[in-house]
Amino acid sequence: MKYQKTIGVIIIIGVICCSWIAGSNYFKPTPVKFLVPKGWPEPLYDFKSNPLTKEGIELGRQLFYDTRLSKDGTISCGTCHQQFGGFNTYDHSLSHGYNNSLTTRNAPGLFNLAWHKEFMWDGGISHLDLQPLAPITAENEMAESLQNVITKLQAEKEYRRLFKAAFGDEKISTQKLTKAISQFVLTLVSSNSKYDRVMRGVDTFILPEKLGYKIFKKKCVSCHTEPMFTDFSYRNIGMPLDPFLKDVGRMKITNEPSDSLKFKVPSLRNVMRSFPYGHDGRFFSVMTVMEHYRKNMVPDPRTDPLLQNRLPLSNFEIGQLTAFLHTLTDSSFLRNPNFAAPGKGVSTTAPVDIHN
Amino acid sequence: MTLHFQNQFGNEILVPEQSYLLNGDTLTIHRFKYYISHIQLIDEQGKKVKLPVQYYLIDAADSNSSMIQFNIPVGKYQSIQFLLGVDSTRNLSGVQSGELDPLHGMFWTWNSGYIMAKLEGSATSSQIAGKQFTYHIGGFRGNNNTTRVITLPFYVIDKCITIVADAKKWFDGPNELSISKEPICHSPGALAVRIANNYAYMFSILSK
Ligand code: HEC
Ligand code: HEC
Repeated sequence: MKYQKTIGVIIIIGVICCSWIAGSNYFKPTPVKFLVPKGWPEPLYDFKSNPLTKEGIELGRQLFYDTRLSKDGTISCGTCHQQFGGFNTYDHSLSHGYNNSLTTRNAPGLFNLAWHKEFMWDGGISHLDLQPLAPITAENEMAESLQNVITKLQAEKEYRRLFKAAFGDEKISTQKLTKAISQFVLTLVSSNSKYDRVMRGVDTFILPEKLGYKIFKKKCVSCHTEPMFTDFSYRNIGMPLDPFLKDVGRMKITNEPSDSLKFKVPSLRNVMRSFPYGHDGRFFSVMTVMEHYRKNMVPDPRTDPLLQNRLPLSNFEIGQLTAFLHTLTDSSFLRNPNFAAPGKGVSTTAPVDIHN
Repeated sequence: MTLHFQNQFGNEILVPEQSYLLNGDTLTIHRFKYYISHIQLIDEQGKKVKLPVQYYLIDAADSNSSMIQFNIPVGKYQSIQFLLGVDSTRNLSGVQSGELDPLHGMFWTWNSGYIMAKLEGSATSSQIAGKQFTYHIGGFRGNNNTTRVITLPFYVIDKCITIVADAKKWFDGPNELSISKEPICHSPGALAVRIANNYAYMFSILSK
């Protein structure tokens, strides 16, 4: 008798639990651990405020590649940030936005964003979660209002399901939208180039790469600091002001004349795949950047102290440096199917031409 | 206790799309919005009683937004203090919700930070397209900070206190602001700070 009662109670509890799990109140996304590559500093992104989950990342990926985030439904984040170029705008000095407009800057590659303190070439954006708001609402990018984006997505059954799976509630808000996008872009970690493998001791440089690394450590690391290949500072490298774009860089944010023409030091990871170069894409190739450093730059008193006498480089050094920069290409990152548009394989064909 | 923000232009009640006179100039106000937060009461001993931190967006076009209700501990208070604007922590902590949702159009996306207060309209003296003026005042860092701590003494303590917010003070506060010379302010900097030093004086308690 006693046993039967106990068993009965257990069964009842079991039934209640099952129906609760099956019911709509059950919410348990699958946590995903953010792996910090060996020897790298701790990330700056506050994962506690936005814990990574499988569902959140998947939703973010969907959003990243969804053209409905733009006013006319033609442009997604992925239109300007293309995987084969390390998520830059491949082969474009400036990116194309809504209604054939152009951005005023070159789209930087997107990777290792968890280590960035500030975003954009001028550091104007203080938090990764805030980043999507800028392209969504900019007239020369996606030209859409946040309210419209939310209304459009809320009307889709699939999105209501995805938001519920990721955040336990199908009501879409600015915060959930941006947190999901952050989750996806945070997973874009590039840490498996030949350089990384050499540092881990599982590969070796050939001679030109080795010599190039030596020269790099002498002439470039003070700004392009390992392992991120940027120290995230803002520097003026003597690029004269473009008379049409009139982009003064960091000074736009701080109003400090001493910050005139300073731009964030870009990472050089995947650099051989992310041409053109410079904040406005004025350098067509790495070779033109090298020519800038050794010859074409116009130093003025605000140019970085390290570059007051330009940066002497011999042809030989440029050759070796270029060989080294090739070792920063991370093919497994550029081809990772988890980062491609959902439902589609990674594009291995030549990049689409969005000029027409 | 209820705080009622009564928006005015000079001595007149401010109603969006209505016209007001300013030194011979005719102004039509389209938008008048500002953030209020960090409300505190100061008792007779000078002790500050903090209320739970909440952010309120007062919008002249939405009468519901102008009523703030909260419970206060019983006691005798001599003045009230609040922050006009949004503190730097909230400016730096990513995407916020509720009144601070960037959806409300009070956030700069290209130079992260809240617009603490905005005043938009048109004026006969304006020299730009549409005879407009738009003042979006923000900036929270160092010398560019445009939040202002406002302290107002109570004369009588009541269940409902009406605080007048006079938009005219943006123009005739301590710093002169001329629409014909400076019709636009859209970024943190010296002009925003000058206007903030004006709006610091726009509040007063309505005496009955
Ligand atoms: C029309 C092209 C375009 C679209 C669409 C676009 N971006 Fe960008 N993105 C850019 C450009 C150009 C920059 C650099 C802007 C600057 O520095 O002023 C940039 C910068 C960024 C950065 C900062 C990177 C860094 O190193 O500081 C991130 C992150 C980013 N975009 C994410 C996104 C996301 C997420 C979306 C979709 C919501 C998106 N972008 C949509 C062109 C675009
Ligand atoms: C004083 C700091 C500094 C030094 C030293 C320096 N760089 Fe740079 N580098 C920058 C900055 C800042 C930019 C971005 C400039 C801009 O676009 O306004 C940049 C841009 C680049 C780019 C373009 C990257 C892109 O994605 O647009 C390349 C390539 C590059 N540097 C290579 C090198 C090499 C190789 C060396 C050593 C020979 C070197 N740099 C030394 C600060 C520096």
